[in-house]
Amino acid sequence: MTTDNITFGFFDEDAKKEIRRAMLKAVALPGYIVPFASREMPIARGWGTGGLQVTLSLITDKDQLKIIDQGCDGSVNAVNIRDFIVSVTGVEETTATPDATIIQTRHRVPEYPLSENQTLVYQVPYPEVLTTVEPDTARQKEMHANVDYAKLWVLLYEDTAQFGDSRISSRYPVVVNNHYVMDPSPIPKFDIPKLSDNPALQIFGAGREKRIYAIPPYTDVKPLKFSDREFAIEDFSGKACERCGSEDVFLDEVHLDDGVHFFCSDTYHCDTHLKEDRGAA
Amino acid sequence: MLLELKNVSKIFGSGCNNCLPETGEQADRAICPVCHSVVAVNDVSLKVKDKEILGVVGESGSGKSTLLQLIFQDQPVSEGTIFFNGIKDREGNNCNILELPPARKAWLRNHEMSMIYQNPHLGLNFNFSAGGNIAEKILGAGEKRYEVIRDQALYYFGKIEMPRSRIDDYPDNFSGGQQQRIQIAKALSSSPRLLLLDEPTTGLDVSVQARILDLIKALQYEMGFSMIVVSHDLGVINHLTDLTLVMKNGSLVEYGLTDQILEDPQHPYTQLLVSSKL
Amino acid sequence: MSAFNHRYKLKVEALGKSFTLHNRGGVRVQGFENVNFSLRCGELLALHGPSGAGKSSILKTIFRTYLADSGSIRFHRNNNPEVDLASCPESHVLDLRRREIGFVTQFLKILPRVSALDAVAYPLIEIGTDEEQAKEEARKMLTQLGIREELFKLSPLTFSGGEQQRVNIARGIIAPKELILLDEPTASLDQKSSEVVLRLLDQLKQRNIAMIAIFHDQRKIEQIADVAVAIGRNEI
Repeated sequence: MTTDNITFGFFDEDAKKEIRRAMLKAVALPGYIVPFASREMPIARGWGTGGLQVTLSLITDKDQLKIIDQGCDGSVNAVNIRDFIVSVTGVEETTATPDATIIQTRHRVPEYPLSENQTLVYQVPYPEVLTTVEPDTARQKEMHANVDYAKLWVLLYEDTAQFGDSRISSRYPVVVNNHYVMDPSPIPKFDIPKLSDNPALQIFGAGREKRIYAIPPYTDVKPLKFSDREFAIEDFSGKACERCGSEDVFLDEVHLDDGVHFFCSDTYHCDTHLKEDRGAA
Repeated sequence: MLLELKNVSKIFGSGCNNCLPETGEQADRAICPVCHSVVAVNDVSLKVKDKEILGVVGESGSGKSTLLQLIFQDQPVSEGTIFFNGIKDREGNNCNILELPPARKAWLRNHEMSMIYQNPHLGLNFNFSAGGNIAEKILGAGEKRYEVIRDQALYYFGKIEMPRSRIDDYPDNFSGGQQQRIQIAKALSSSPRLLLLDEPTTGLDVSVQARILDLIKALQYEMGFSMIVVSHDLGVINHLTDLTLVMKNGSLVEYGLTDQILEDPQHPYTQLLVSSKL
Repeated sequence: MSAFNHRYKLKVEALGKSFTLHNRGGVRVQGFENVNFSLRCGELLALHGPSGAGKSSILKTIFRTYLADSGSIRFHRNNNPEVDLASCPESHVLDLRRREIGFVTQFLKILPRVSALDAVAYPLIEIGTDEEQAKEEARKMLTQLGIREELFKLSPLTFSGGEQQRVNIARGIIAPKELILLDEPTASLDQKSSEVVLRLLDQLKQRNIAMIAIFHDQRKIEQIADVAVAIGRNEI
């Protein structure tokens, strides 16, 4: 593929400007959903076009790019998106979380703590947290404006009444900056605490749904939870990654013929932990 | 005074200066002859005091249900003002609740008023369990402790004489009368000061109707809220209310003590209504 | 003026009532006209006259079930300003009915699902009396009126006419009132029960309660009434 005739970052400058405006508004109103003119992309909608457009509008030639899918730098979708972005920008790619300035992710927050000079871009399938309880988009907007989330709380109430706790495993609703309730994209509950007070800028892009929203650095983010109930993340106690031995990370459950195996979901973490172990030995 | 309406009107359609004078009881029509808008409520003023029970009667299309919806703000008011006790502006003066910002309107709906609809599909969310429906109102009023919400939901579920074991069932699995009971529990769970009832027992068989009316009356007595009851059934009005307002073509034609309205109706239309009673 | 008013519990002046039947071509039916009387605390005023003379209508007009066409009904309240029952706001009438003015109607109007005891206790509970205490007083009142205890839990609608009448009286007088209106309180009672009721009315007089009652029986009027007002059939 030749990049001679393609502008830096694939988009023309007007397109980038429009998307950046949406991002600026999203940053100014933490957790608020901003519509934007989602473009046709060389990959199909629903395959990360929201995150891709955010990344392409942000990226400069000085950036270092990391793309992960379920924590993995090597999965086919991550590789394709990374190859595409590199081909239209020529930026340096990396798998090292601390080295990256832009990390585009699907379904995970990296294990390695983020810093102020980093931006985490989420690929989002369903941006509107209220869709499950209110199909009318005009009503959804009113509910957000009135901070009227009683219907979401009812779901939580029903799960608690019937199952003892919420049954939501991913996309756990969060309250951003004590105002808007937001869909954090399908990250596991394990990653929810990492959203809060994070030094990095977090931007959420939904290409098919044409929506952008954001969590600015150091913003308070809380899971939607009754005040007399604890928020419980996935329990991996007694389990460790079979490859690197990590215990305090999010583990993928792999079902093979000889039983269930557990491995780190974050491949960069797994690789570095493995090296450290070998270095120590 | 708990609630006061001043010159409240509701026009469906473009509306014009002729709408109000050309329609109503005197004109004997609800459709404006000039712009063909429907005047559902025409210049109605009324007051409800604490613990008072007001009935609203009139034939279908007289505007009685619309009047309730205007008070509950299910519909925007075209003209007029509504005051609610304790709702004041920054200077401490009583203020028109129609001009409140949306969040305060929502607060008013969640804390101070409740509505019971004829159709349980309007008053209940059928995707939520009975307990969930009650919880929604309690949550809307600001409670965020699960144990408190659950206890309250069970308490009000008990108040409507339903077994606790059924609280997590969904509205589809209840009978029509039970669905009305769940609406009542939901409506009362925020301890409102004003309960609005739109034909609460219409369509239920008479034995169920009687039990629900008795329940409403007992709970009103116990909790002391005010009520506005819309019904075309003079038996319901007689059983529940102290005061009655008669509407025709969107206008208020008569107001008085319920026994006076039923035994000594003044207006020709009220006399016709009362004489039509079975 | 005020000293004069204080002598009266109720003063009815030039009271008139007619009914206009709009759906019968606007026919006007005269109920009564130019009725004047007054009564003091502790007095029983008897209304008498032929059937159709408007005696019941006068009671209903005082109770505001009927709206007066003309005249005034000045009710002097113990610790409150005087009101004109013919014209005061409806919400005042509701308050007065709860606490100050009772009405024993000619026929018992009651829900078929309510027991005699509950029906009689209700007016007390309504003004805030503890439920157990209210029921205890209701029990006493019913016993005093000769209702057998095994009937207490049944609906009065299954009772005989005389028993219903007595339940009705018990209901009307159990709560403390200042003025009680009674529409033929002894109409369907035998001699013995009538005597019981009259004794009860006499006790109310001792407690300074003003009463207006309709009686047909001249002997009863002589026995209990302090004032008798004849209502004549009116000519239009």
